[in-house]
Amino acid sequence: MVENEKDILISKIILKAVLPVIKVLLEDHPTFQKRFKDIQGTVQFTAQNDGQVIGAHIKFDNLNFEISSELLEKPDISFHFSSLKKMNDFFTGKLVLPKIKGFKNFSLLWRMFSVLLKLKLLMPDAKPKNPIDKKIKVKMTLYMVSTALSQLNKSGDVDMVKWTSKQPERIYQWSVDNEDIACWLKIKAGQSKSGRGFYTLRKPFVHMRFPNIDSAIPVLTNSVDTVQAMAQGLLITEGSPEYAAKLGDFMLKIAELLT
Amino acid sequence: MSPVGGLTWTVYDADKMTQAETYGLVLSELGKMNPKIVGLSADLAKSTKIGKFGEKFPERFFNLGIAEQNMFGVAAGLAKVGLLPFVSTFSVFASMRAVEFLRTDVCYQNLNVKIIATHGGTSFGSAGTTHHSIEDLSIIRAIPNIQLIVPADAVETALAVQACVEVEGPVYIRIGRSFEPRVYQTDQYGFQIGKAVEMKSGTDVTVIACGAVVYHAVEAANILEREDGISVRVINMHTIKPIDREAILKALMETRRIVTFEDHNVIGGLGSAVSEVIAESGKACAFTKVGIPDQFTPHGYPEDLMHYYKIDTDGIVEKVRELLGKEFEKEEDWEDEY
Repeated sequence: MVENEKDILISKIILKAVLPVIKVLLEDHPTFQKRFKDIQGTVQFTAQNDGQVIGAHIKFDNLNFEISSELLEKPDISFHFSSLKKMNDFFTGKLVLPKIKGFKNFSLLWRMFSVLLKLKLLMPDAKPKNPIDKKIKVKMTLYMVSTALSQLNKSGDVDMVKWTSKQPERIYQWSVDNEDIACWLKIKAGQSKSGRGFYTLRKPFVHMRFPNIDSAIPVLTNSVDTVQAMAQGLLITEGSPEYAAKLGDFMLKIAELLT
Repeated sequence: MSPVGGLTWTVYDADKMTQAETYGLVLSELGKMNPKIVGLSADLAKSTKIGKFGEKFPERFFNLGIAEQNMFGVAAGLAKVGLLPFVSTFSVFASMRAVEFLRTDVCYQNLNVKIIATHGGTSFGSAGTTHHSIEDLSIIRAIPNIQLIVPADAVETALAVQACVEVEGPVYIRIGRSFEPRVYQTDQYGFQIGKAVEMKSGTDVTVIACGAVVYHAVEAANILEREDGISVRVINMHTIKPIDREAILKALMETRRIVTFEDHNVIGGLGSAVSEVIAESGKACAFTKVGIPDQFTPHGYPEDLMHYYKIDTDGIVEKVRELLGKEFEKEEDWEDEY
């Protein structure tokens, strides 16, 4: 993959799959629920790429959260990067200083920084100890991965497109037993869509179930591979094992792109 | 036995495969155990194989001549005095020539008469259009009180004939002429009237078939899995009435794509029965029924007719691929949710 193409792909995953999981923090994390109560404002992330500006903005409105790839002229806060690569590095934990505007909205800015720091839970090496963070990590990671897989396909990744284009309409479901954590990826003849909750219109072609949060953590931190996880009962896969394994390969690809 | 298709079956194979042959043998065995069983024929004892029963129990077997309507009237009378009549003729005669007598004499009084209708569908190919029974499922299904069974092969025919003895009231079992490929290698699969059999599990699409088409459905599902990687559920809907609603609704909710295959007119038969359940459920489903369209069938060998109407293995593969391109949701939105 040409370097710039790779940067474009990573930036799409960040803007369309990583940033949206901030919603999980606002909905599920008590600290962030408290922190963002009655908070309103817009935060925009942009990067320069071949003379164009690429980015997305987030709108906070008293725990309601929206994200859009439409760029605002005057967001309350903006993070601008001189290249896609720098933006990608920033979100994947490397030391990069963006150009920040909107210091007068300090109240929103520090809250946004706290969110960005919490997004580090998505990193494979993040191994939280307390139950809330463990659950948030599992939920954010599964939601991010399901959307990232769809974005990988939509971005034209050759292997992913080859895999999706041959399939009839199929649902790949992830869930954690007895928790409100479930998401899905729908594939049909080269098209893809990710969604939250259980897909109810048909039976999943592959359903990856984690018996509990603690069983999901080692799998999502790559401490065990999929085969070991199934052997140890950490992951229950219902449906085609071949397709589940291939999906696992693409999940690893996402992890590699984001580290 | 090597089911390679066409007319390459041997006589030895045919003896093991034929539904009618099996029916004759099973009825003879039942006759030993149940003295109330009597056999009736309208001059087709040899062709329908009820003659095997007649050879064993000549005093309990009656050839009423080429008079199907009278045969059903006699059957009703025999049932009325406590006997258990098995009536055998070609399905085209049982369901059409004698239908008013079946309806009024037998079904109206809910009498315990068992009708074994042979040469169903296009199985009597070379006899031509007049002997192709492509309307019987539709006609019989509409008559109150009667139950309607279309076994997949000889093994299932044996089980259906035994099971119908346990059912009080009229039962119509539709079987073929001969050369029906064997689907089951054992009779221990839990046959029950009104309970469909899942021949193969799958999540992409469900194929529902009955009669001799079930063999082709299983073969087609194997091809689709091997060649296209498609996961096909195959259901043998051997009982058309009462239909197994639970199996249909499960397939609907789990695969959202259903295609029915039957050796019968697409109006009123298996496809119609399945579509009624789908429509009443109010759930979205991509659905196609495949069978004989609204036309009379031409002369031809059964294999060729099944191929022509796309109810053989090749046709099922083609039609399933076609259905997979159909949408079951009104609008498709491919934007990722967050």
